[in-house]
Amino acid sequence: MEEDQHISLETTAYFKDRAPLLFFLLSDGGQIVDTNQYAKAITGRHLIGENIKDVMVDFNDSFHLSALLKDSSKEHLLNISTASDLPQSFYFSFKKIINQIVVFGRLDTEELEIMRKELVSLNQELSNLMRALHKSNVQLKRLNEEKNRFLGMAAHDLRKPISLIIAYSEFLIEEAQDLLNTDQIGFLNTINASCVFMKYLVDDFLDVSAIEAGRFELDLQPAIICEVLANSLRLNRLQADKKGIDLQVNSDESLPPIIIDAPKIEQAMTNLVSNAIEHASPDSLVSISLACDQQFLIFAVKDNGPGMSPDEMGKLFKPFEKTSAKKTAGEKSTGLGMLITRKVIEAHDGKIWVDSKVGEGTMVNFKIPMAKG
Amino acid sequence: MIDEKCYKTYLTSLLDGKRSKCRDIVQKLLDEKIDLKRLYTDLFQRSMYRVGKLWENNRITVAKEHLATSITESLLSLAYPSIFAGERIGKKVVISCAANEFHQIGGKLVADIFELNGWDGYFLGANSPVEDTARFIHETQPDVVGFSLSILSNLDHLKQAIEAVRSDFPNMDLLIGGQAFRWGGIDTIKQYAGTEYIQSLDDLEKMISGM
Repeated sequence: MEEDQHISLETTAYFKDRAPLLFFLLSDGGQIVDTNQYAKAITGRHLIGENIKDVMVDFNDSFHLSALLKDSSKEHLLNISTASDLPQSFYFSFKKIINQIVVFGRLDTEELEIMRKELVSLNQELSNLMRALHKSNVQLKRLNEEKNRFLGMAAHDLRKPISLIIAYSEFLIEEAQDLLNTDQIGFLNTINASCVFMKYLVDDFLDVSAIEAGRFELDLQPAIICEVLANSLRLNRLQADKKGIDLQVNSDESLPPIIIDAPKIEQAMTNLVSNAIEHASPDSLVSISLACDQQFLIFAVKDNGPGMSPDEMGKLFKPFEKTSAKKTAGEKSTGLGMLITRKVIEAHDGKIWVDSKVGEGTMVNFKIPMAKG
Repeated sequence: MIDEKCYKTYLTSLLDGKRSKCRDIVQKLLDEKIDLKRLYTDLFQRSMYRVGKLWENNRITVAKEHLATSITESLLSLAYPSIFAGERIGKKVVISCAANEFHQIGGKLVADIFELNGWDGYFLGANSPVEDTARFIHETQPDVVGFSLSILSNLDHLKQAIEAVRSDFPNMDLLIGGQAFRWGGIDTIKQYAGTEYIQSLDDLEKMISGM
């Protein structure tokens, strides 16, 4: 008898101090009169004196002690708030003994075991995918570098023969006019025009391969920005005249000198104005403005062409992407100009952006800091 | 070099589940341009061997062992940009864990050591079914196939995997390694021709340089 009592005391002590099982002794009204160490540790609270209802996570105010006491053999799935702020689910049993209520709560160990195994598996899969992703990234980078090297080499080697064909076709057009008939002169003009376009393409390829290979370097020198704009417009005017487009330039002649890579900014301006002319309706207006504030040089070019949808604007700076916005005289383009222009502006610590609406034309703007430039 | 103080701090943080402290230590070593092979052998392998021993001797729980493994696996990704960036030598290895083998970190370290030596190291992960492994080998046509085993009771699964590869690829070089072989099984493996047991990452390194 004494031995039984001793075992019972030991069991109770172990249960209260160490067992991984929730235990609450409640008053009739649900106030916690006694509990065990596990309950205190998992909730991070002293618990004595609190109402059991306040220990539960009860979103729908559905915790009613009287209902839970109806069948003491039944387990109820309930959640408690824990010290880690993550709720934990337990299967609770409620039993009334004289004037007090005994409550036990157990974890579903089978479910936890499944979850543990799944978590380990998922973590391993994630880590393996991460490894595969890193490996693929390096392989793609290597292939891209290879492509750029090939593109650069091919473009570089094509430049010389193309320049020769342009030069000799020009000689023929000028010097053999009397010997050739109109059709033959027309063929020569087509050869010349195609080669000029091919040269633009090759130049753009070279720029893009340099950009992607990270070899895009600026030669920064003080420059009079109005002169840079004037130089860039010289080429654009010929193009504009062919379509009867009026280039309206609004430029502040008193702009201070700015440190930039002038040929590259000139190339950027030419690209943007050329795009505007290509998309503007014949016999219309393209407005160009150049100004500065305290911090930035600001350039804008606006056309009254077909405009672009937001989706099309998203494609604008991607290589070889062409938007559906039709060029109004069927002009050819490499699809690389905007990419190169953006790179030029960003290399000057600047920003380029586009405002456009379908049917209302397009305005392309860039700004570069006056200080760095 | 990883000094003893650094190793101890790392191991304590690993056992305490302090992922960000471990991450800081590894990142600092990478910033200091530590030799990646030393990082793998003297930090990752050494600490995980220690974690394994502590678990086997009931000094830490299995939960702690899983946490340490998962932290280590996440830290490997810090070294990946450098590991995969090296020059390739045109050789391939496929590393797999036998079916029912849920410990994968050893195999992954092996695949990464191959990468460090210019090989393309493909890692199939834990509990890889024999058919999947065989299919991948057919697709990849590697120069070497490796199997990692951590729990000796999975030896039969490993034997099945070896026999499957042998039947499809009679001349394939096979490497076998893993902590399971501290308890036996090496003789069983050696019965298979063209199969080599590798005891540690250092031994692996020596073997690769001779290939």
